[in-house]
Amino acid sequence: MSFSERPTVQPWRKANLKRRFEILLAVAIPLPLTMLFALLSNFDVNLALIAVFLPLQLIAAGLVGVRAYGKRGIGDAALVVITIFFSTFVLVLLLSVLFSVIVEGGRAISWQFFSQNNVYVSPTTSLEYGGVGHAILGTLMVVGLTTLAAVPLGIAMAVYLTQSQSKTRNLVRTFTQALSGLPSVVSGLFILTIIEATQMGRSGFTGALALFPLMLPTVARVAEEALRLVPVDLRYAALALGAPNYRAFFQVILPAAKSGLMTALLLGLARVVGETAPLILTMNPSSATSLNPFDGGMTTLPIYIYNYLASSYQTSQARAWGAALVLLMLVGFLFGLARILSKSKTTKKKASK
Amino acid sequence: MNSLSTASTLSAEDISVWFGERQVLEKVNLTFPANQVTALIGPSGCGKSTFIRTLNRMHELIPGAGLAGAVYLDGEDIYNESTDAVTVRIKVGMVFQKPNPFPTMTIKDNILSGLRLSGRKIENAEELVETSLRRASIWNEVKDRLNDQAISLSGGQQQRLCIARSLAMDPKVLLMDEPCSALDPGSTRRIEETIQELSETMTIVIVTHNMQQAQRVSDQTAFFLADDNTPGGVVEFGSTEQVFNGPIDQRTNDYVNGHFG
Repeated sequence: MSFSERPTVQPWRKANLKRRFEILLAVAIPLPLTMLFALLSNFDVNLALIAVFLPLQLIAAGLVGVRAYGKRGIGDAALVVITIFFSTFVLVLLLSVLFSVIVEGGRAISWQFFSQNNVYVSPTTSLEYGGVGHAILGTLMVVGLTTLAAVPLGIAMAVYLTQSQSKTRNLVRTFTQALSGLPSVVSGLFILTIIEATQMGRSGFTGALALFPLMLPTVARVAEEALRLVPVDLRYAALALGAPNYRAFFQVILPAAKSGLMTALLLGLARVVGETAPLILTMNPSSATSLNPFDGGMTTLPIYIYNYLASSYQTSQARAWGAALVLLMLVGFLFGLARILSKSKTTKKKASK
Repeated sequence: MNSLSTASTLSAEDISVWFGERQVLEKVNLTFPANQVTALIGPSGCGKSTFIRTLNRMHELIPGAGLAGAVYLDGEDIYNESTDAVTVRIKVGMVFQKPNPFPTMTIKDNILSGLRLSGRKIENAEELVETSLRRASIWNEVKDRLNDQAISLSGGQQQRLCIARSLAMDPKVLLMDEPCSALDPGSTRRIEETIQELSETMTIVIVTHNMQQAQRVSDQTAFFLADDNTPGGVVEFGSTEQVFNGPIDQRTNDYVNGHFG
């Protein structure tokens, strides 16, 4: 028999028609059955999903598994069912949070919601007036100030932890790890005492100070992991070519760790961009737009949300939801921007030469 | 690169090496005359790789490394107080066991990386890239894809790229630490041919576990051995012909004939 005449063997495609029908039954039957049961017996639907549907689905999948592979099919089927069930569970949780923010926040969102501030807004003002423009700017400035200080310092710490052979490294690493567990409100209290002691006014800057101890350890730890992943071979290769340490670092190690360092930046941002407690303690919320983070009142989106959500007026709560949606969009925008920036450089290099 | 610099003579005198408290080499004396290829052979763990790293001051990068003795490059001790490790490494190039091209750079940038990393000016970049790649006999394979990422090459090609990267620095001595151990026979043969051609312009020291390779490429051979729990050292050193065909020491005879190691 020549090669071309041989039937194609694809043992990894096990599902023939009959088996597919069985799988279809196992997928289709348990859910309606559970719903029917819940309806008839007045059982709580959510409870029924776990107490009735999951075991039922496990049995159904197990039966198909046994018929297809014998005993070992049971384990496979159970793993598949449990994986899908709990992934769906988590996905539903996440999506419902996103969904409620989009639906509730969508009511308040309009163009002027992004551009206007809240100076002339009272709880009874209609949603057509006022917005979170000042809070967006405030968030960008406060978080931006923190990032400006925390990212270079955090990466410098990571360099110290990975590149030097100093004996105090372990001490520094331990403190960094301890610091990353610092409750954010404690950081706020710390800066608050400094404000009280030095009589300096609350401003965007003091807010940025309170965020700094939160962002620094996150950046340092993730950046350390990123730098540790760069093979030591590359460093040796650079040094063997006659590179001084700093050139080996900037021209070889840093570029190789770039995407990891970008992750460090993003995780650092994620840690502080939604912080509320330390900012409430250290900033002076204001409804007006301020471009000076070093003097006077300033508001960030989380403070805005906190202040308006506590109100009993419906329009105020709608504004808070709107601000939550804006915050989500802002974070998404920053993350997307960072990814694009870190990618385009390497691809550009490839294409241009 | 119009005029290639001449090869240098390298000689190690009484080199002893420690890692922390543990001594791994005891008083190694070897001379590598200009334009000669020297093979370092011996079982694993006998200190060959450690020794070769003392020749371009890569040894001191390992935490806890200690050293006694001197290495003379054209009569000057590279461990002299006033000598900078960087200038030594520019003159004494190194090729590692595992190919390690810079993954973030293109093939061309890898070749030029040595000059950039050591802070020197690049003149005639195109010419330097071509000459270096030709000398490492990889030019024909990569000439149409100089701007591709270096990691897109096969293992054998990556290793020859690393050789070319060292050659772009125009070293006087080239150290090779088991350069073919991760490569297929075809790539190995190519690199061996390259070594032969390179020895016209530089001194070469190569660590190898392959007896045939040592016989094919080297002019002289040093046999390293470390007995249990004692520091390694040179058992026998002489012309390759003599070490393989008429070794004086019984242990050398056993090793080169495959009785142990």
